[in-house]
Amino acid sequence: MKLNFTVNGAPRSLETPPDQRLLDILRNELDLTGCKEGCGEGECGACTVLLDDKAVLACLTVAAQLEGAQITTIEGLTENGKPGALQAAFVEEGAVQCGYCIPGMVLSAKALLNETSDPTEDDIRRALAGNLCRCSGYTQIIRAVKRTAKEMGAE
Amino acid sequence: MSDYKYIGRSVPIHDAQGKVTGSLRYAGDMVLPGMLHLALLTCDIPHGIVKSIRTERALALDGVVDVLHCFNTTKERFNRYRNIHGQKLINQEEIFPERVRFVGDRVACVIAETPQAARAALPLIEVEYERLPYATDAKTVIESGVLDDMFEDGAVYPAPELINGEQPDLTGTTITQTQAHFDRQSHVTMEPQACIADYDPLTGQATVYSPNQSVNGLRTVLADLFDLPYHKMRVVKTTMGGSFGSKQEWMAEPVALAAALHTGRPVKIVFTREQAMLSTITRAAFDGKMTTHVTPEGKVLSVDIETVIDAGAYLSNSLDYCIVVSSKIFRCYTFPYVRYNGKAVCTNSPVSGAFRSWGTAELYLLVEHHFNELARKLGMDATDFRLKNIVKLGDVDKKTGVSLGDVRIGDCIKQGREKFGWFAKRQAAEAFNAQNGRFLRGVGIGCGGHGNTYFPRREDFGAAQMRVSEDGTVLVNISLHDHGCGTVTAFQMMIAETLTIPIDQVAVGEADSSVTPFDLGCFASRTTYVLGRIAVDCAEKLKDLLVATIAKADGSEPEAVKIQGGQILAGDKHYSFADAAQYALHTLQQELTVMHQFVADSNPGVTGAHFAHVEVDTKTGMVAVLDYLAMHDIGKVINREITVAQIQGAVAMGTGCALTERMTPNKNGRFTSSLKDYHLRNCPEAPDVEVEFVEADSIGGPFGAKSIGELSLVPVAPAIMGAVNDALDASLSYLPLTPDRILKHLANGGESR
Repeated sequence: MKLNFTVNGAPRSLETPPDQRLLDILRNELDLTGCKEGCGEGECGACTVLLDDKAVLACLTVAAQLEGAQITTIEGLTENGKPGALQAAFVEEGAVQCGYCIPGMVLSAKALLNETSDPTEDDIRRALAGNLCRCSGYTQIIRAVKRTAKEMGAE
Repeated sequence: MSDYKYIGRSVPIHDAQGKVTGSLRYAGDMVLPGMLHLALLTCDIPHGIVKSIRTERALALDGVVDVLHCFNTTKERFNRYRNIHGQKLINQEEIFPERVRFVGDRVACVIAETPQAARAALPLIEVEYERLPYATDAKTVIESGVLDDMFEDGAVYPAPELINGEQPDLTGTTITQTQAHFDRQSHVTMEPQACIADYDPLTGQATVYSPNQSVNGLRTVLADLFDLPYHKMRVVKTTMGGSFGSKQEWMAEPVALAAALHTGRPVKIVFTREQAMLSTITRAAFDGKMTTHVTPEGKVLSVDIETVIDAGAYLSNSLDYCIVVSSKIFRCYTFPYVRYNGKAVCTNSPVSGAFRSWGTAELYLLVEHHFNELARKLGMDATDFRLKNIVKLGDVDKKTGVSLGDVRIGDCIKQGREKFGWFAKRQAAEAFNAQNGRFLRGVGIGCGGHGNTYFPRREDFGAAQMRVSEDGTVLVNISLHDHGCGTVTAFQMMIAETLTIPIDQVAVGEADSSVTPFDLGCFASRTTYVLGRIAVDCAEKLKDLLVATIAKADGSEPEAVKIQGGQILAGDKHYSFADAAQYALHTLQQELTVMHQFVADSNPGVTGAHFAHVEVDTKTGMVAVLDYLAMHDIGKVINREITVAQIQGAVAMGTGCALTERMTPNKNGRFTSSLKDYHLRNCPEAPDVEVEFVEADSIGGPFGAKSIGELSLVPVAPAIMGAVNDALDASLSYLPLTPDRILKHLANGGESR
């Protein structure tokens, strides 16, 4: 099929089988390797991206669902080639270790902050429930999201 | 706080920006020109012989280059765990065995132009097996002998008996026996195993890019396997998306290199999650039995331990693992007499291997559970009981005779129980339980001890090289393998502190077997303690060279020159590192460079005590962790927030091991292979973990630092288990304590003693 959609603000048009996974399109066709495959069955959250500002799993989303969609990947959150506010907070709070879960984690947090600028800790924990991290106990990650929300509120 | 500029502060890790923006490439993200892709076919029967493999249909698929399998690939055997040339090990494994020994054993791989074509060809390979009888647990193997012919030397490998000390007079003591068990567990690194192998037939140069913990160990295993000269076998460590031990053994690299040698092109392999769970390594299922004689005052006089390590389908490291388990008891407790016997048993299960703490977490599960039982029997508090049996400042490790130095488990227990409110929480739990039916609360303590180096068990040494660039920045050449926990940054901090320069003026590379100095690898909790010490000593040597160089340039005596605040001071004149480098370059015609080699000669006690407060829902069998404190005798913290995060991660992992994480076989011998069924802590379930340190300059390590990464896992499961047993007034020690197991216990009237 011919697929027309938008990735990180840029219109894209490509020929793809309708059942090709969004994960493979991003990684193999568009070289957006920030989208990680951790399990391929929707259990770990490493491949989380935004589809029309909502968090979805790129391993369970296929080309046929994407016509006209707006996709945001981790690369799309940067500002002038530098980490955006949420990404910078993850760095500064010490939320990044091995880093493999981090793109998905950041995008799930982004989806939450798109909905509410004043999330409670429970909101944050629930929003990140589908994103597994094996290095930390999530403490610094939660703090990074709280900090970003606070900074957003202050603006 | 100290006067250090960097040590003990919190610095984001060196590649955090690349990770958080997605720009950093892991092995699975890398692309080399002309690169081919591999897909691995693993077997779906637990034991059998491959009678035939038909590949015609797979080869006919567009994009498929070839299929490798047991009938067209080297039969040379290797040991996935070997990490140094000459290590005496039993080689049982082939890249593609004719006799397959577990569900997940490697059968074939498809080499194709695209990953899609490689995957699509897998179901087109036709394999005919002759099935053999199988067993997926050690007890059946030992009792039935069903696997006696699986290897030339059988399937049961006893460790040599260890006897330490003299059996004392046991008059008046009480004898007690308990058991503990861990099911098989998975590391679940978020990054599954992946690597790229490249081979140039014209030059004979082979290169492997992989997230591994020992470029030199891997280099010699691969070279021996394919009969390559060592100087033509290069291994480059790539960004590692977590290891916890799973990337110190070699499963992906031999397959990828076989394909690269076969095609003369770069080849990438990326394991699926199922393969990462079944076809790499796991933590062995563990069974232990402990028998002691204890005095009425709570001093344990005699200890007898028996363990069974389920090695899985290949022995690989399991016999060593079984032997090493015995040594760790002396790192936290001291007893007049210890006898240890263990055996590693091969079964038709996923292969066991290195797992964070290398058996220490299993040992302390057994010991801590036993101590809880003894304390209860004697009517003593669990923390008081431990204080009667711990090692003390200046004690020696009774197995090795090496000083435990400033070991401070006593401080951890005493300060920890105060900070945690141990006694108040215990009382409150009792009051709570008296009034509640459905929810029951309890508290538990877990202790543990570990090492910082192989010394003196086996050789441990390393080297570093430093160079000053023309602009005064420093290049450090050392074989680091950062697992993702910030090793590179910790080294930048230690070197910058020593040289009194900003962190960003220090570049620290990672291991590349053709470039960086020889090193064993980043495991055995030795990285900060041994390699960190080497880096700091090397930086001191570099300071001496900078001083000597400026003394020459300035015409002063070296004694009159010193380094302070990143400047080289000679009298009232200030020189920069750049001045020194340029003077050396242009006038002395030398590079400012030093090399430092060092052999480890100490291994202080490094310990921790964890405290857990839990609530058990007796209706659902679910356990909630209400409060948790991890108290660590760390010597000196290098990078504070990352160290805290690493310990909190260990608690999340250990809580999973205690409550939910288990790989078990189905009726066809296939073990748990999906995160749908293997449950680690997610964000809502992860406990809030308070982390505290007992910091007191230790000896031997850099800035007094000791190890932390492995040790931090050790006390977790015992603390959680102890708290659950306290809540239920039970003696459950068959872990994980899943809701089913807790409910079954309650349904049986709560009898577990």
